[in-house]
Amino acid sequence: MSDQLLLSRFAFGPTPNTYNSVMQGGGKKWLEEQLEPRLQDDSKCQERHADFKLRIRYEESADWKSADEMRSFQYLDTPISDLIQLNQPGKKLPGPEKNRPLMEVVSATLIRAVYSKWQTHEVMCDFWHNHFNVNAWDPNIGLGLPVYDREVIRKHALGNFRELVEGVAKSYCMQTYLNNRSSKAGAPNENYARELFELHTLGKKAYLNNLYNKWRDVPGARQGSPEGFIDQDVYEAARAFTGWTIEDGANIGGKATLPRTGRFTYVESWHDNYQKRILAQEIDPYQAALSDGNKVLNFAAFHHATAKHLCEKLCIRFISDKPPRSIVESSTKVWKANQNKSDQIACVLRHIAESKEFQNSAGEKVKKPLELTASYLRGTGIEFNPTEGLIHELSAAGQKLYGWPAPNGHPEKSAYWLSSNTMRRRWSLVYGLTMNTWKTGSFDPFLRRGSQLMTTKGFTDSWIEELMHRQNSVLEGAILNNAGIPADTPIKNLDLARKLVAWIGMSPEYQVS
Amino acid sequence: MTISRRDFLKASLSAGCFSLCPSIASLSYAEGYDNKPLLIVLFLRGGADGLSLVAPSADSDYIAARSSELRVLDEGDSNGILSNSLDSRAGFRFNPNATSLSELYRGKRLAVLHAVGILDATRSHFVAQEIIEKGINEEGLLSRTDTGWLGRAISGSQGAITGYSATASTDISLYGSNTVLAAPDMFSNFDVPGGQSTRGFLGDISKNSKSSTEVATLNTLNIIATINRDQVREASGRASNKTDNGQFGYDGSGELGRGLSSIAKLSSMDAGLKVAVLDHGGWDTHEGQAYRFSNQVKQLSIGLAAFDQDMRSRNRKYNMIVMTEFGRRLQSNKSGGTDHGHGACWLVLGDSVRGGQMYGKWPGLKNEALDHGVDLAVTTDYRMVLNESLLVSGLNPASSFPELRKSELLRLYA
Repeated sequence: MSDQLLLSRFAFGPTPNTYNSVMQGGGKKWLEEQLEPRLQDDSKCQERHADFKLRIRYEESADWKSADEMRSFQYLDTPISDLIQLNQPGKKLPGPEKNRPLMEVVSATLIRAVYSKWQTHEVMCDFWHNHFNVNAWDPNIGLGLPVYDREVIRKHALGNFRELVEGVAKSYCMQTYLNNRSSKAGAPNENYARELFELHTLGKKAYLNNLYNKWRDVPGARQGSPEGFIDQDVYEAARAFTGWTIEDGANIGGKATLPRTGRFTYVESWHDNYQKRILAQEIDPYQAALSDGNKVLNFAAFHHATAKHLCEKLCIRFISDKPPRSIVESSTKVWKANQNKSDQIACVLRHIAESKEFQNSAGEKVKKPLELTASYLRGTGIEFNPTEGLIHELSAAGQKLYGWPAPNGHPEKSAYWLSSNTMRRRWSLVYGLTMNTWKTGSFDPFLRRGSQLMTTKGFTDSWIEELMHRQNSVLEGAILNNAGIPADTPIKNLDLARKLVAWIGMSPEYQVS
Repeated sequence: MTISRRDFLKASLSAGCFSLCPSIASLSYAEGYDNKPLLIVLFLRGGADGLSLVAPSADSDYIAARSSELRVLDEGDSNGILSNSLDSRAGFRFNPNATSLSELYRGKRLAVLHAVGILDATRSHFVAQEIIEKGINEEGLLSRTDTGWLGRAISGSQGAITGYSATASTDISLYGSNTVLAAPDMFSNFDVPGGQSTRGFLGDISKNSKSSTEVATLNTLNIIATINRDQVREASGRASNKTDNGQFGYDGSGELGRGLSSIAKLSSMDAGLKVAVLDHGGWDTHEGQAYRFSNQVKQLSIGLAAFDQDMRSRNRKYNMIVMTEFGRRLQSNKSGGTDHGHGACWLVLGDSVRGGQMYGKWPGLKNEALDHGVDLAVTTDYRMVLNESLLVSGLNPASSFPELRKSELLRLYA
């Protein structure tokens, strides 16, 4: 097992502590612990959360007074029935109050990425949030983000995919984002059903669109196991999900209205009860409540194309943009063999981590801005607290956390992260964290490594070792060449010292894992 | 040479051999680009409902398929009515919120293409967008194509910044060129943090150009250096960060205005810009379309009118294609929205455009005329539009659309 690579991909980079324990032969042990996290046992991160305060600020208006204060987390554990009150019809709230649930989850995510003990769990939460993307910067969706994060994504991040898909399907956030909550028999809304097949489960490679309405021609369909889906499957699945909705106060006929709790519910009078044919499976008319939709989730979650799509995506995340076919195929077998187990996802991750394809993949992945930020903070040991300024800088660097507008989530492949804007902004990220531009925490480079009595060369070598875990004479040469002071003189200037450390974080080699 | 370049192109195009004629490339490269119009591509992301943008308001099938709030009504003032339309009986009208678009149309600066799109049957946003961005005609070629139609067209062109993507990262259509600036706007600081010594360090450490991150580092340094050389500066010496002081009327066009005015600003710099792209999101109206679509169209209409003023005041010639990945279903759903469809409505705006008329072939909305019985059919291959647009910009389309062997000209441009 490549232990150092493990900490770069199955964690947000090494800290000195995790590095030492893993390099002393503990990679396998570390991974096993990570795959069975005891999430309550995370005191350092919990203390950070308890002490954390995020600024909130807005101007006075006719409907509210101005505010400018530091406020603790208040929504991370709040039930959806309370959160939905933030969007009560007729209730006027300043934007920052409406966006507060979102900003709290973004801040909590950043703190966990840097400080949580359960790093693989955090990496997978990031993966699933992108896989099941919702645009939570829309306040009407964002108000549900604490619940989506807590009760769907975090709950199932290393668990069972079928359960995860159902949690997503019934969530306030996805029901709102892909509009299933307004879908009704007669002319259903196809938005959710389409993305369920294309993005969440079978994948776009299994969308055999040129067969459109010729379902019998889909390979395997006549035997009851079609290789992919067509638009007729989308239409029929949309019918199956009619009536799956959210208690949002909507009128459901006559004078009857749904309560406003934000919780999932089923409205029988909106459901299309007639027979359906989905992925070459027949569904009889007038089934029990929720039965049609649950069947679609079964067909989709246990489909071979889904196993392949998800395993390929995991291999792209953990190995390379073009993972060897061998590892995608073997992972697919593990995925299917464990598809009814409660630790299905963990089993697949173990398989990938222990593969030779993974071990041979050093340097293949470009760090996304969140990964770059967290790994740099973990490596340097800066005492970190997220701020609004940093959150906006991450957005500018291309990673608007929980705010990708389309349902496909942030790109997993490298090209997107190497454009002139995303490159320039990742330099700004590293430099700004080093110089405390966004008040995220002051950095004293002499605290952990060396002292002001050290030569510039000694200081540089020491920090290269600290961040890259090996010596690198080319990097050392480029730094000393531009430092502006002789290599053998003591480095006393704090800002210069910080700058030299920032350069390591800005170097091309540090951008990849 | 007695034959003009344009005549030669026309002749070879009508002979249907342009993509195979090696002489065209040398001919077009021989002529300077500086006086060529800038080509701009605005992508309406999500599948804009063409049947609400430029609507067959008098068509009985249209009226039957949609409630009055989800269609353009065949009534009211006549300003929105399109002259020179594809079918006079259909009663084509601009959306009532597109007041500036109908003015531009009447002023012959804007042309409308209807029933345009991809030939592939996909109703997936992501597949359809990528097919267009890569300039291909079917999904099967996606995984084998790494570059975009614009990237291929400008690769090899002279200039430090030949393409501009007014987005967070480079648009896929520009993949294949390493002289593309990506930046959501041109109104913020463009420096490398840490100043000259940091630039020196990054240049030194990347000088071997071995890895993809080293190449990206060097490209980015070069582009930033160009911007900082050419950036329009205020009297104080600081980079100008104003959009337009309100003079062109971008207010009300939202984020779109920011991108458009950034393109206008960059077009005045001497960086060799040939093409620019930007996005306008929010067109995926599965729910609550009546309200959402009106707002989208208002932004679009205001933004394009302001941009046209902006470019004219700079005396910079341009042509802009306004595209979307597909149109939407004729029949609305019970969420007050429409689902993914097929044939779309595109716009072309600018100096070379033979505006004030509609282009394409209107298939109608009778059941048997619809694609698979549900959606507006595609009667114009989207690549024909892009192909002509490259030619009028002095760019060689041969590598952009390798599978497009011959086609009639739409004659969108003068």
